[in-house]
Amino acid sequence: MTTMRQTTLDTLGLGTVLDIFKNGALPAETDDLVDQVFGKSSDRGALVISGASGIVGAGKTMQLGSRLESFGVPVVALDMAGAPDGIGRHYPGLTRAFGHEKADAIMRNIARLSYDGKQLPPKLKDYSPRLLIEAIPEILELKKAHYTIFRAEFPDIDIRSVTSGFPSSQLGVGITHPAFPHEINKVWEIVEPKSSATTQLLWALGLIPIPVSDDWSFVLDVLFCGLTQAALRYHEASNMPYWKIDKFVRKFVGPNPFRAHDAIGAKGANFLTWSCLHHLGKEYGALFTPTDDLVERKDSGLNWYPPNHFRPLVNWKLDADEQDTFKTWVLGALFQMTSVMLKEKRAHLSHMNIIGELCAQFSPGVLAHLRSLGADRVVGLVDAYHAFHPAAAKKAWHPGVFDNMDDVDWQQLYVNAEHDGAVGVITIGRESYNSDVDAELNRAIDWLRSEKIDRVILTGDFHLSTQLVGADTSEFFPALESTDRGFEISHGWSMTARRFHDEFEVSVGFVNGKRCWGGCLELFLHCHYMVSVEDATLSFPEVTLPVVPGVEGCHWPFRRTDEDGQAMVMNLLLGGRPIRASDATGWFIDHAGSLNDAITVAWKIASGVDHTYALRKVEEGPLAGVSGLLSHITPTKDPGADAARQAIVDTIRASCEATLADALTIQAKHSAGFMTSPAVKKGAVGSAATKTLV
Amino acid sequence: MKNGNSMFPDVRIPYGTWGSSYFPAWQTSALAEVNLGQFAGEAAAQILGKRHVPVGELDYMVIGSTVPWHWKFWTAPLVSSCMGRRLPGFHVEQACATGLQAVLVGAAQIQTGSHRAAAVLTFDRTSDSPVGVFPERRAYERTHSISDVWDNFGFDPAAGSSMITTAGTAARKYKLDRREVDELTAHRYEQYFAGRKSGFLDRVLFPFEVLNLQGRPMGTIDDDFGVRRVTLDGLKAMRELDTCVTSGTQTHASDGMAILLTTTREKARELSTRPEVDIQFVARSEIRTRPSLMPEAPTLAVQDLLQRTGLTLKDIAVIKNHNPFAVNDAIFSRVLDYDWHNMNNNGCSLVWGHPQGPTLTRSLIEGLEEAVDLGGGNVLVFGCAAGDVGIAAVFRVSEGAAS
Repeated sequence: MTTMRQTTLDTLGLGTVLDIFKNGALPAETDDLVDQVFGKSSDRGALVISGASGIVGAGKTMQLGSRLESFGVPVVALDMAGAPDGIGRHYPGLTRAFGHEKADAIMRNIARLSYDGKQLPPKLKDYSPRLLIEAIPEILELKKAHYTIFRAEFPDIDIRSVTSGFPSSQLGVGITHPAFPHEINKVWEIVEPKSSATTQLLWALGLIPIPVSDDWSFVLDVLFCGLTQAALRYHEASNMPYWKIDKFVRKFVGPNPFRAHDAIGAKGANFLTWSCLHHLGKEYGALFTPTDDLVERKDSGLNWYPPNHFRPLVNWKLDADEQDTFKTWVLGALFQMTSVMLKEKRAHLSHMNIIGELCAQFSPGVLAHLRSLGADRVVGLVDAYHAFHPAAAKKAWHPGVFDNMDDVDWQQLYVNAEHDGAVGVITIGRESYNSDVDAELNRAIDWLRSEKIDRVILTGDFHLSTQLVGADTSEFFPALESTDRGFEISHGWSMTARRFHDEFEVSVGFVNGKRCWGGCLELFLHCHYMVSVEDATLSFPEVTLPVVPGVEGCHWPFRRTDEDGQAMVMNLLLGGRPIRASDATGWFIDHAGSLNDAITVAWKIASGVDHTYALRKVEEGPLAGVSGLLSHITPTKDPGADAARQAIVDTIRASCEATLADALTIQAKHSAGFMTSPAVKKGAVGSAATKTLV
Repeated sequence: MKNGNSMFPDVRIPYGTWGSSYFPAWQTSALAEVNLGQFAGEAAAQILGKRHVPVGELDYMVIGSTVPWHWKFWTAPLVSSCMGRRLPGFHVEQACATGLQAVLVGAAQIQTGSHRAAAVLTFDRTSDSPVGVFPERRAYERTHSISDVWDNFGFDPAAGSSMITTAGTAARKYKLDRREVDELTAHRYEQYFAGRKSGFLDRVLFPFEVLNLQGRPMGTIDDDFGVRRVTLDGLKAMRELDTCVTSGTQTHASDGMAILLTTTREKARELSTRPEVDIQFVARSEIRTRPSLMPEAPTLAVQDLLQRTGLTLKDIAVIKNHNPFAVNDAIFSRVLDYDWHNMNNNGCSLVWGHPQGPTLTRSLIEGLEEAVDLGGGNVLVFGCAAGDVGIAAVFRVSEGAAS
């Protein structure tokens, strides 16, 4: 078997995506892993979360409790007797997510016990604790004492700390470091010598464990706390208020670091950021040393944004030179910090890149950002930063790590490809489609073609992307003002999609996650076959944004189905509502089934094993019947929605009445034209652009 | 002091670290609707930022304002918190002398050695000034209310007259000629518009976009709104409100802020965009004249200042007078035998308005900037204040300072 780069699954000891298809099953079953971690059902032990009333502890009690309840794993929520209730406040959210019955069952499975910090409650033994997730305050000696009393009572217990920054070597236990918001964020940074059953269980439960090296602080924390630090240094130099810095950081990097601190709760978040930077500063010098402002906010717990009665009054604009200065301060520092992590090989590059996107709104991920600039510009930027902040140049700067940006590990951050000599798999590890994914997808196709592979499965990566939501709409911001840019996106992405139809003998789009929507669905529909897990949803939500589907969604699906199917496609496009994959078989996709069943079918089709699925013909001439379907469209009372529906109708009519060869350009022109319309500017894309583009 | 002595020998104003907002006339801009203490703090941070002075370099703040603003009790620490960093400091108030008095107080903080770098931030919003309610047991009304700006302009509780009356009284005392006052006023407008045209004012005034509660623009303060060209004929045609006083020969209420820094000699070199420019405090004077003769008070303060320092007006390179009435300049010219054409270049408060607190700070900033253009020299800044008071100060800009 050959892969472009190491699969991220392999970092968990779970092999490759191609293995999944070849074996017709996932690499590990949840039941088996639950047995391994908590014991057989006849002897099932418990998960203990200590510090369970805190923000992290309570969130993880909810997240893991909701997933383990059906496996009969009791969850013990342990905290000091006087700790305020952090668990009960999650109950409303639990009922919203699961309904009353399931929420009650989850809460019934959580036993809340108190202790005094010195002695464990005698009752705890009744639960046979097997795994402890420690979420107590960030005081090293306190944590070590905590482990000692647990080990004395339960010698075989597996202990993991959620620590915000201590290395495993200091703690003496493994680390499962989660990301905010803890009840829903799936990402955990894992520190352990080799992938364990506990880590694999997190993956099997639908979470996203990411192995990282054992160093001070974690990848996400270095990026997020480091970005906060960079923003604070710019504030020190420029006087720009935090709220406005947040706007520019959002524009150039993605996150709102100061808003995020306030949203998490400034008192706790300020301390954690300070703690992270304090330890990093000791290790790596002035680059990370907390600023006076941060120290003051850590002590006071004050929010970064002004209170309501002092909402920002004076706007602050930057000219081109001042924007360059801003970028030098913020990106220069951030890139130097990233050089430290690259030097220390803290994580698989895809992990290091995506974690900021998944957990802190980096857009794109930091490595994709670096890659887009190129090594010379990055090094120049950091050098310029050192002119502003000379103390940072003395330590922790490794420009050499950017020398190998042309290597495949750098070039394929989001998309990977594997093959066994006959069948290839292309995996997408980003939930939304952007120009980076598009470029990497093309490189993956090129690679498979160069390896003489003409049968391929296109799918998610079974790890980092748990769904495929469609286009990254931030890519459309320039297109709001430029039809050329809109055309470029629509035309370019459509050309990529067509490669799955034109350049492979057999291509199978396989939906393995919760949903496949919008531009991703359009992409997958270009494959000769489409297979999905049955409970995934499929949708064209473009009409609700509104935008016009730009990857041939307005004609391609009509060309590959019958008359009845065309009417259903029309409903999908103009209604914007999702449907279950199991309701789409036949007229829209070829097969939907349970995960293992769908995997097996996809592999059969791709590998050419005897199967019953007929190849769909894509009509190359003008479609005669589609225009007739358009006469049934009735206006709504919403002018924006009507404008979108009309634009989509116009696109359907024009592109369906053309030949397949001409339709690509026609639909791209329509898509780009509508992008500059008032309806789009007033809609979700326009609003997001207004908020982001200060 | 002619020999170079200085009242605050260890204190400097760092060149190029100052700035002011435009002064829109009252009720003509978004400033009429906001907490001006907050505006002043946020605008000051931006001015210093654009001047490459981090707020972290400051360790003290003197604020000056005369019209109550929301939460004024919290004075300098609150205003500086709007700059991003809370600083110790206090509030100075002396009617229209505030803008100069605050600078002198800021300098004293440095000279005493208690602090190294002080921001002097002055501001006022005359638009929609607050109305104060004062319980008065001995008054038959039991409670007095006062609209802070207009009721005070209209009535000196010690002398009984209004501001405008003092101008008329002083004009009669000096037998001023209406024609001369009109000509002087027309010339002041020409000076202001010449300063606009030459770009001089762009070097000291900063535009600001003001945001509403939702964060959307509610206005841009990028002009001295309300200032329009006048002609001599137009001035002559105006109705006389008191002797030599018309609506054209007096200033108008406005809103705004201004900031400059006082610091040590060493720190000034560090902060200044042109370290070779040295700006020192030479001397100050403050006097009270007889009741209802306020417009002559500044002239008397200057007389006192010259006498004590041994300086003559020939030793002064730039003269800036806060002139709420054109009468003020005419009296100065008459008493000190000085050609009024040669003072108040690039504009003055008669033209660009009178937000009280920051008025003399802007005058000083413009005067210093002008002196630097001239290659250095002494700058005389003076003005009148409620209570028939005049204040004057001389600053020395090092020679050879031209770029």
